[in-house]
Amino acid sequence: MNEATKMSAIDLDFYYGTFHALHDISLDLVGNQVTALIGPSGCGKSTFLRCLNRMNDLIVRSRVDGQILLDGVNIYADSVDVVELRRRVGMVFQKPNPFPKTIYENVAYGLRINGVKDKELIAERVERSLKQAALWDEVQDRLDKSALDLSGGQQQRLCIARALAVQPEVLLMDEPASALDPIATQKIEDLIQELKKNYTIVIVTHNMQQAARVSDVTAFFYLGKLVEVDKTETLFTRPKSKQTEDYITGRFG
Amino acid sequence: MDNRFHQEQEQLRLIVLKMAALTERIVEKAVRALFDRSLEMSAEVIRDDPDINQLELQIDRLVLKLLALGQPMARDLRFIIGCMRIAVDLERVGDQAVSIAHRARYLNNRPPLPPIPAMQQLAETAMDMLRMALDAFVNHNVERARDVCQMDEKADRFNVQALKDLMDFMVNDTPAIQRAMQTIIVARCLERVADHATNIAETVCFVVEGVNIKHQFP
Repeated sequence: MNEATKMSAIDLDFYYGTFHALHDISLDLVGNQVTALIGPSGCGKSTFLRCLNRMNDLIVRSRVDGQILLDGVNIYADSVDVVELRRRVGMVFQKPNPFPKTIYENVAYGLRINGVKDKELIAERVERSLKQAALWDEVQDRLDKSALDLSGGQQQRLCIARALAVQPEVLLMDEPASALDPIATQKIEDLIQELKKNYTIVIVTHNMQQAARVSDVTAFFYLGKLVEVDKTETLFTRPKSKQTEDYITGRFG
Repeated sequence: MDNRFHQEQEQLRLIVLKMAALTERIVEKAVRALFDRSLEMSAEVIRDDPDINQLELQIDRLVLKLLALGQPMARDLRFIIGCMRIAVDLERVGDQAVSIAHRARYLNNRPPLPPIPAMQQLAETAMDMLRMALDAFVNHNVERARDVCQMDEKADRFNVQALKDLMDFMVNDTPAIQRAMQTIIVARCLERVADHATNIAETVCFVVEGVNIKHQFP
């Protein structure tokens, strides 16, 4: 693990019951970089993403072997507070999932459940998060309106703002633009570029052009194994593995 | 990417191969027009060149379509870019052949100059290089492509030698200056064919290995 590494998976195995979903994954996630995880459906990329903030803990009969380090500390250690871990490693899902509350309350929610009561601080964080998520200009005069009235693209940026409000260090994105139109997708992609200045970002995407556009590093998963990881430019122009090449050129199966 | 993408990519390959075959032939005809003093060959070169130009246009259109609609990656991307580059080189080789054919027509209507061995050697080297570069493209053979790059120096040497011989000749036989000048232009065209063959060979290395070997050879 070098100095710039924010998170590291070391010899990680993951099981859904008896199903061995991830095999011996070792991967460094570098700070202030976007790492894209690609691979066919069922290859383990989303499972791996969810291991990074222990979302898989919620799945019964699941089991993890190996380690994931966040700033050098194993997040699967008994002493780790999972709520605090998920504050530091935030997540944005495929489908925008705003709460049936106002725009303001959606963003403030994470702060409130983390015990923040200072109204001024909450207001400041809500505004800053909405600005960081490039949504402030569109919603500043209707913060008290329902989040469900926003467009799909706006809802997704709201979810990003909600994730940012608790000041995470790492942002996990599971196909964050797959349910959006090209214009909203463009906004999310621009946003990712902006956010990486302050956050470490890991994105799962089925859209290889998107992975190529937004990420610095790309990791290719297949059948639960990490086949290849390299600079995005290298992986998409001259991949080393034939499996990677076959996948990204559409010759699979 | 669907199967149609790969079918169209195969179509692109076939058009490039057709263009390559026509270009190789047109250069041979231009060289024969010169050395065999054949007016018929000159005429054929000038007649055939527009076919090469049309194939370049077809390749441009297909490349644009494949890039825009297929959004290719990795070897597909390198192959398509490679085809585009090779088409540009082949079209220019065709133009050099036409230029040689025009000079040959001029020269063939006038008394022959004495034989200049370096000219013959230059022509043979340039044709060999073009043939080998295209063969390397067809067979994804990077060793052969690198051999072509190495040969460029030889072509340059023959070109310089031909130039020296023709200049010596001009000094001794001033009435032949115009014919010698036309022959110098032919030498220049042949040297350009060798340069384009080198470019094609470099493109083959890029397509096959993803490495850029341009400007690595002296």
